[in-house]
Amino acid sequence: MNAGAVPLDDPDRPPVLGCESCGLTSANALAGAASERPGGTGLIQRCPRCGHVLHARKPMSVQRTWACVVAAAVLYVPANVLPIMMTVSALQRDEHTLIGGIRELWIDGSWGLSVIVFIASIAVPVLKIGVLGLLAWTSQHAQTWRRLERAKLYRLIEAVGHWSMLDVYVVILLAATIRFGPLANVQAGPGLLAFAAVVVLTMLGTYAFDPKLIWDDPKPAVRRAAVPNDAGDAGHAGRSA
Amino acid sequence: MSREQDSLVVCEQCGMAHRWRPLARASIARCVRCEAVLGRGHRLPLTTILSLTITATVIFLFAISSDVLSLDMRGVAKATTLPGAIATTWDDGQEIVAVVAAITALVAPALFLALRLYVLVPLAIGTVPRGFALCVRLLHQAGRWNMVEVFTIGVLLSLVRLSSLADAVPGPGLFALGAVMLLFAKIESAGLKHLWWHV
Repeated sequence: MNAGAVPLDDPDRPPVLGCESCGLTSANALAGAASERPGGTGLIQRCPRCGHVLHARKPMSVQRTWACVVAAAVLYVPANVLPIMMTVSALQRDEHTLIGGIRELWIDGSWGLSVIVFIASIAVPVLKIGVLGLLAWTSQHAQTWRRLERAKLYRLIEAVGHWSMLDVYVVILLAATIRFGPLANVQAGPGLLAFAAVVVLTMLGTYAFDPKLIWDDPKPAVRRAAVPNDAGDAGHAGRSA
Repeated sequence: MSREQDSLVVCEQCGMAHRWRPLARASIARCVRCEAVLGRGHRLPLTTILSLTITATVIFLFAISSDVLSLDMRGVAKATTLPGAIATTWDDGQEIVAVVAAITALVAPALFLALRLYVLVPLAIGTVPRGFALCVRLLHQAGRWNMVEVFTIGVLLSLVRLSSLADAVPGPGLFALGAVMLLFAKIESAGLKHLWWHV
């Protein structure tokens, strides 16, 4: 704690929000029960310095993360099954899948390269889909489980996410370079589109997830017992009618 | 210029509030709860970031206009540039892949540099440009989607795979991309929030 910042744990202080764009700290004007309603209040608070929207938690974070994870997981199948690249010559036509390309590199003796491509094209996308699914699930069902480790996992996928675009660039470079008419031609295959979509979707999912959810405490059972309050309101409404 | 002592800093990753204490050079402040970086004890001066950005812009323009690699196959030579590779992908009917590649390897890095120049030049001479807040927000997005370093490694990988087929030669654009990649990392390490301390 020597280095730079002292934590603030004064329970009486109203919650504060940091601006993601300029870093200014503002009091949470919408703090309290109203802003925690599932549908929100329809009110938004903006940073007084730069005008960026401030929110305690990204809106609809878990739903948007799930949408991206599910879409990415579905597209991951054609990305691996369909060829990402086709080699066409007058004599033959070869199709290369993601895994096939890695195997060719391995057989050619480029072990180091095949490991790099394996990490970028197989390990990173699978890691991202798995970690995002885990984070989205635990943020609703196991909120206190291994919080620090989950926070670090999130920062990991945030940092390595864009490296899975590597194979997309390799294929478009090979396709643009190997253009020798009837002798040899390389074309991007349909699997490449699915794979590029997986990369973009997992990145969108990463940005949709709000890591602050990791630190939220489980909702106390008291919130469920809001029924008497509702009944009271209803009674009141009945009386005034 | 730096953050004021005792000002409140909220951890971007977990939302915990901290009081800021001035840092020694080369030290890093981390969130006590989630260990994310809150701030660093060193800052590149504005003029240094500006000169790095100007350098990167010149080299980037060179990198996208010259060949990144060329191939010689039985006397027929074929060279490829970054925009050329994207255009070929589009012509082959892979329009969406071409757009994704164009955004991540061309548009995002171009915005990364152009918006920084637009913001840093006025700040360096003591004025604030129009639309400053919007530019900083766009810079945040440009940084997220900029993958010029991944593209550079992609060129290297392609070279190795091509060399088994024919004489593959790295082009001047590849060396320029390598330099751009290093400059981007240095510029990005300065972050964006400090820009507001000069306003």
